[in-house]
Amino acid sequence: MSDAILEVENLVGGYGEMTILNGASFKAPRGAITTVIGPNGAGKSTAFKAIFGLLKLRAGRVLFDGADVTGATQRRLIAAGLCYIPQGRNVFPELSVRHNIELGLVAAPPDLRDGAQRVEAALDRFPSLRKKAGQQASTLSGGEQKQLEIARGLLLDPKLVMIDEPSIGLSPLMVRQTFDMLRALRDRGVSVLLIEQNARSTLEISDYGLVLELGRTRMFDRAEKVLADPRVVHLFLGGSIEGDAA
Amino acid sequence: MSNLLDLVVSGLGTGAIYALAAIGFTLLWQTSQTINFAQGEFVMLPAFLMLAVMRAGAPFWLAILIGVALSAALLGLAFKRLLVDPMLRHGVLPLAIATMALSIALKESVKTFYSAEAQPFPSIAPSGSLSIFGASVSLQSLCVFAFGVVVVVALNLFLDRTSTGRQMQAAAQNPTVARIIGIPVERMVTLTFVINAVLVALASLLVTPIYLAKFSSGETLGVAAFVAAIVGGFNQVRGALVGGLLIGVVDNLAAAYVSTQYRAAVPLALLIVVILFRPQGLMGRAEERTV
Repeated sequence: MSDAILEVENLVGGYGEMTILNGASFKAPRGAITTVIGPNGAGKSTAFKAIFGLLKLRAGRVLFDGADVTGATQRRLIAAGLCYIPQGRNVFPELSVRHNIELGLVAAPPDLRDGAQRVEAALDRFPSLRKKAGQQASTLSGGEQKQLEIARGLLLDPKLVMIDEPSIGLSPLMVRQTFDMLRALRDRGVSVLLIEQNARSTLEISDYGLVLELGRTRMFDRAEKVLADPRVVHLFLGGSIEGDAA
Repeated sequence: MSNLLDLVVSGLGTGAIYALAAIGFTLLWQTSQTINFAQGEFVMLPAFLMLAVMRAGAPFWLAILIGVALSAALLGLAFKRLLVDPMLRHGVLPLAIATMALSIALKESVKTFYSAEAQPFPSIAPSGSLSIFGASVSLQSLCVFAFGVVVVVALNLFLDRTSTGRQMQAAAQNPTVARIIGIPVERMVTLTFVINAVLVALASLLVTPIYLAKFSSGETLGVAAFVAAIVGGFNQVRGALVGGLLIGVVDNLAAAYVSTQYRAAVPLALLIVVILFRPQGLMGRAEERTV
């Protein structure tokens, strides 16, 4: 068994004529939180979409848990143990909170018997969702909607959670709770791949840091090393690694 | 005033038919941004399919079943695969224009290959009238109304109470997220087209005994369904129901109390008023779309 739950090689792709990913290669170590940082347009979200089969790759390979899943359907990826929570609001506004969560079982294996219990357990884990279980999801606050997405995503016990900027629009308290939850997941053996703008505070709770720039991997190391690297600070101020090294 | 009740009931009868067509119309819009300008012809055609099957010697009940199945295949699956899928790639407007072309093609085909004459069509509802509080009410209208309501309630139960129904709603409300959690969005969209085809076939079955089977009958029905959908709220099934019933009743009352010549104008006037003062429709919610 490889020490990486996810491994991507030489990803090339983008939107229409525009190329965003220019041969990015990286790994997400098993049982760890890996945070992806990089300036706007570096290809962080695009890489997530490509991994999850939402973007057609022009080249490259995606290996998940040892199997080649390049271009696989979302159902297959979910069944393999991958969970993707994109940026922004990802709920079905006019369905109830409970029904929103239940839909997380859609891609469950046919022999799953305890679906209803899993939904109850998910509601128990988030008291504010339990309280509003019968209400339309549109009535939830931003933080509660994020909780709903996480609860739904965890329903099938994923091996890897890919989550894109969960902190956007959340109060500092909610951000802390979300990060605490990601750490608790990691402690249970779930791998986490995270994109965050607020690089410093996120790297502080991460095991590994990955720096993307212009669609390529610039750095991959233990989070504390990435955090301590002066070039990273420089990168976020608008410079580039080459420029600084020269 | 004794016939006011009868006018309202027969208005509810035709209104229920409009509602079936309007609901199908909004479902297509919600799941695939299809504005089907051929919806009226979609209501016109199944009656002719059923007539053709009866002409071949089948009894009425069998003709109904075959007609609904043919409608699901032609107006549901074939419509989606052969017209909507290829056109939608070019945008919502080219697709809308293509459905206008389809409406002309359907109308002219029936005229050319079946008949230009209006054809009588058997009714599934009993004829005669019922006396309620001394007023005589058409039994057929009452049955048509009841049947329409049952269909809408059944559809709502399916959408709200079954997993497939909720997956359809999810696919309509947020297709990207639906895909991300593993909902087979494409299959759900196809299912909507089949449901629309069944709804128009049922509407056809109900309306044709009243207005006869005629190649041109889709014109009025299409406008009524369109107006009903907008008045009720383009993005709501229950809005389309309310819109349909309202248009049916208003249309009937206008014919009796205002003028038969202007009856067709009254729903359109209602449409203008709704668009001016409540553009999201009576039951609808405001919708935002990024272009």
